Amino acid sequence: MQRRAVVVGVGESSYYKRGAAPETEFQLACIAIRNAVEDAGLALSEIDGFVSHMESRNDPMRLSRTLGVETLDFAAQPWGGGGNGVAAAIMLADAAVSGGLAKCVVAFRALAQGQFGRFGQARMANRLYGAANYSALYGLLSPAHICAMQTRRFMHDHDISQEALANIALACYANAQRNPRALRHGKPLSREEYHASRWIVEPFHLFDCCPENDGAAAIVITTPERAKDLRKKPVPILAAAQGLDAGDGFGAFNERNFPTAFYRNVGSRIWERSGVRPADVDVAQFYENFTGPVLIAMSEMGFAPPDGIEEFVSNGALEGSDARLPFYTSGGNLGEAYIHGFELINEAVRQVRGESTCQVDNVELSLAVAGPGFSPGSAVLFCRD
Amino acid sequence: MSRYLGDAWALPYLDPQIRPFFTSGVIRIQLCRSCDAPQHPPDDVCHACQGTEFTHRDSAGLGTVHSFIVVHHPVHPALTERVPYAVALITLDDMPQIRLCGNIVDLAPEAVSIGQRLRATFEEIHDAETGEGLTIPQWETLTS
Repeated sequence: MQRRAVVVGVGESSYYKRGAAPETEFQLACIAIRNAVEDAGLALSEIDGFVSHMESRNDPMRLSRTLGVETLDFAAQPWGGGGNGVAAAIMLADAAVSGGLAKCVVAFRALAQGQFGRFGQARMANRLYGAANYSALYGLLSPAHICAMQTRRFMHDHDISQEALANIALACYANAQRNPRALRHGKPLSREEYHASRWIVEPFHLFDCCPENDGAAAIVITTPERAKDLRKKPVPILAAAQGLDAGDGFGAFNERNFPTAFYRNVGSRIWERSGVRPADVDVAQFYENFTGPVLIAMSEMGFAPPDGIEEFVSNGALEGSDARLPFYTSGGNLGEAYIHGFELINEAVRQVRGESTCQVDNVELSLAVAGPGFSPGSAVLFCRD
Repeated sequence: MSRYLGDAWALPYLDPQIRPFFTSGVIRIQLCRSCDAPQHPPDDVCHACQGTEFTHRDSAGLGTVHSFIVVHHPVHPALTERVPYAVALITLDDMPQIRLCGNIVDLAPEAVSIGQRLRATFEEIHDAETGEGLTIPQWETLTS
């Protein structure tokens, strides 16, 4: 909290197409964690905490045994199922380290969808139970469908065209061309190809939707004191937030603020806790499960009013290191790999270190905003030491 | 009558909270006995006053398209022959804070738009497995 916890290590496994990883998911998790700990110059035995989001298979008990952890002092995950929790996981690590509960916390996420089946895939039998009936019975089944319903109304309310969605996708693909780790590296996307691609669910074309991938990513969070003699310059956590606005915690599109990406309260808290404003941010990663909700999240985080969001993302405003708001500089979920958004945390940290493949000059403030469209939202703001 | 998504599509398991919506033949919304607040989907506790006893309020079944999607990629094998189809989000005239998902049975997906006026209609289904009769709320365009 406010520079009392710092990131000292960043790592990942190789990223793969869905089902293409030769490693198991647990192996991927251990590889990413080992790489992050090695990057920090720490020993695996010094890890004393684990956080993740929506992680059910690679649990801290198995990890601490496998990695040779000396003592496990902290293990937690945020509520809420989805990529909306990725920054909340960092918030938990920040709280644990700042509060003295643990000294060296690993935050990570691993996905091997070949080994364990597709994530975010609509699953249903011929019998529906509980509240699912109010949507699934009518054919509204997947995260894409939910986000499309929010996006359609947002576009209607604020006179937003398909080009605004295209701009999000094109920025991700353009930035991925600079990142050799990106699965879309060497496969650029043109505006014509975007518009010609098939509809998945209107208003989302194929290229509005993130792919499904296998891989793992991790960072290491410790105290400023422990960071002093480590290998890399520490990256302080300036602020982190997770939450909801009043009336937004209920489903089936009956949230009070529908259409919302669940970032009103998260935005307020991030700026309040950090003492800076959106205009001060040098580079931002916004989790794109689908392009549309990114527009909602950007406006709820305070970057532009909803009526001005299309203009805000137009004319190449997001592409490249000298963009008005350099955005998803690694290529993101769409262009780099879908590691359930954890790759955006790694990229946000690398921007402060000066290690990005799409490096922005003199980064003081680097923002990572987690998944939109599912609640509660979360975000984390890193700063220069 | 044949169902919008096909007769092989899923059916609800009728727990006590679900039952009124899918068997009453009207748009039946959960209502708090203590404070008269309607809420959807139904929940165990009232979101307005934390009351725990409920009755229901029947809507006249008139509404407006608030948002919609057109599904092209079938995410379930049973829908492969059914795409493209539209799912609408409908606000009720007499309970404007309530939004319901539904299909508009008399419109092609490309003809759906925000602001269209709708009237409730019901798919009457005999659930062969349970022997129960269902009335699944659906929507059709309102011609005045």
